[in-house]
Amino acid sequence: MHIIACIKQVPRDNTVAIDAHKRIDASGIEPILNLFDEYALEAALSLNDEHGGDVTVLSLGTDETVDQLRRSLAMGATNAVLVTADGEPDIASAVSIVRGAIGTLPAADVIVCGRTATDDESAAFGPMLAQALGWTHVTYVTKILSSSATTLELERSLEDETEVVSVALPVLISVGKGDVEPRFPSLLRVRKYAKAEVPVIAAAAFTNVSTVVDRIPPAARKAGEIIAGPDVASKVRTLVDRLIADQAL
Amino acid sequence: MDFTANYDMFLNEEHDLLRQTVRDFTEREVAPNIRAWDRSGAEHGEGPETRTHIRPLIEKMGKLGFLGICFPAKYGGAGMDYLALAVLCEELERMDSFLRVVASVHVGLNSMTIFQWGTEAQKMKYLKPQAEGKQIGAYGLTEPNSGTDAGAMTTTARRDGDHYVLNGEKIWISLSDIADTFVVFAKTDPSKGNRGISCFIVERSMPGFSSYPLHGKLGVRAGNTGGIVFQDMRVPVENRLGEEGEGFKIAMTALDSGRYTVAAGAVGGIQGALEASVKYAKERHTFGVPIGDHQLVKRMISNMVRKMDMGRLLVYKAGWMKNAGRRNTRETTLGKWHATVSSWESADDAVQIHGAYGFSDEYPVERFLRNARGGVIYEGTRELQELLQADFAMGTRELAPKLRCELPAYNKDAWEAE
Repeated sequence: MHIIACIKQVPRDNTVAIDAHKRIDASGIEPILNLFDEYALEAALSLNDEHGGDVTVLSLGTDETVDQLRRSLAMGATNAVLVTADGEPDIASAVSIVRGAIGTLPAADVIVCGRTATDDESAAFGPMLAQALGWTHVTYVTKILSSSATTLELERSLEDETEVVSVALPVLISVGKGDVEPRFPSLLRVRKYAKAEVPVIAAAAFTNVSTVVDRIPPAARKAGEIIAGPDVASKVRTLVDRLIADQAL
Repeated sequence: MDFTANYDMFLNEEHDLLRQTVRDFTEREVAPNIRAWDRSGAEHGEGPETRTHIRPLIEKMGKLGFLGICFPAKYGGAGMDYLALAVLCEELERMDSFLRVVASVHVGLNSMTIFQWGTEAQKMKYLKPQAEGKQIGAYGLTEPNSGTDAGAMTTTARRDGDHYVLNGEKIWISLSDIADTFVVFAKTDPSKGNRGISCFIVERSMPGFSSYPLHGKLGVRAGNTGGIVFQDMRVPVENRLGEEGEGFKIAMTALDSGRYTVAAGAVGGIQGALEASVKYAKERHTFGVPIGDHQLVKRMISNMVRKMDMGRLLVYKAGWMKNAGRRNTRETTLGKWHATVSSWESADDAVQIHGAYGFSDEYPVERFLRNARGGVIYEGTRELQELLQADFAMGTRELAPKLRCELPAYNKDAWEAE
């Protein structure tokens, strides 16, 4: 089974600055692997544990992204590919670029990606990539219940219900936070892959269909309030009164 | 900011990915629980029977390769170098000292000592399963009435045919109730002073061995510390590490390894205190500005940065010397002295920056302070390290000539060969 895991590097937190050109300035903030991509990679690796084959981890990024790809190799991926592009592709362009890169790889049975990226929060990349490939996609997957060489049985966690879906391969799944925590790399693999050469695919020129004209950073969170009172019972009463008054209860 | 950037004269991509891995591990597996684990040590005492978190966590560290980090693959290790051991210890203590203590006693004091002095058979029997994390090692030198004055130990080992019979008690033993094997010291000839001390690898399963937990420690409460007792414990001759009478030298070289891990851990401890202080100094406002705008708070933060960077450079220099196979007692003790004292002072400043909140365990800094105090005492007191530096400088102490067994220099190809 060949599984492709699409991953993205994001800033650790969202305290980013917006520069004069309305671009996100994440300098000084630690770059990390998108949280949900870690769960997606774990899903890919556990399928690989069961069925063997290859897990190719692919990222559209910059030279800096190589660290995340090497870390993914240390976690258990068998191949890594960095895709680079000049300029800042919008989601439609990113999908087109990644689709082109996937075309250069051996045929895949499953593509995994995180349900959303914690930087742009669009949740559109996975479904759009599946559409571009003409593949079935299943979103909000939190568990792989069973798998064979031709089908996956998946659990989807939706707002009000949990759905169990059986789907034929090939399929793209976007993965959310489930019960299975992503594995840590072992030091043997850290040593083996810390300096791994990662092949680079340079994307052809692209034309964005959308342009960001403004960005408004999230408002800073307000400080909490400490409720005073002579004893715990009266503090709790005040708290509950406030919650009712604020319609939180 | 990334306080660990720009050390590429010592570190490479392997160390960077290692740091990331250990940090992810501590943030995910330990951070959500550490306050409760630390409290449990005060409430329930330190016996493993009430401390169910310790064994599973050590098992996880073993599976990831942390417990064999700097040993050749043929002995079950991860094949990384001695600087990797420093990075591991920094990241462990950045979270909590009890994690670094595991690395200090299992890797530094026990496994590295067997690696340096052990026969091939001893390395295969003890080092390999320890490096693979299948067995846990600890170390016993200190006794109820002998600490810095190790030569005053009263534990004895009497030869009886192809066995030694050990009697005595060791105290302040980290992982006393958890470890499977212990590198311990006993007098085979009490008339010869330090030259009458020998070293042994003993197993918990040997008849006559018992252990007990200590209660009421100031810090490192998430871990397990206690005593071990030998009552007519018969130890096979093949478990003697080194020659008879070589024990004192072995103990001192073990401390070259152990102090290195303590020093590196203390650097991580300073970083933990610094990061908590920087965060709080930006959040907390007084007189209409963040407290980080006040000059005396800035001074405490800049002092932490200075002490941390100096400590890190001293530790990496000692690690670089270990990699090159050079004796490093002077450099290691200097690093241990500076880093542990600085870690205590930095935690104290961190509590001060946090004000009254720093006085409660709502924030981690009071735990950092309690934990840091131990490092100023164990594996060679602040005073001993201070005396050593003067003696080295004045030429009144010289390193012993070449030892019969030196700690092997790091050799990447040999280390990585299966």
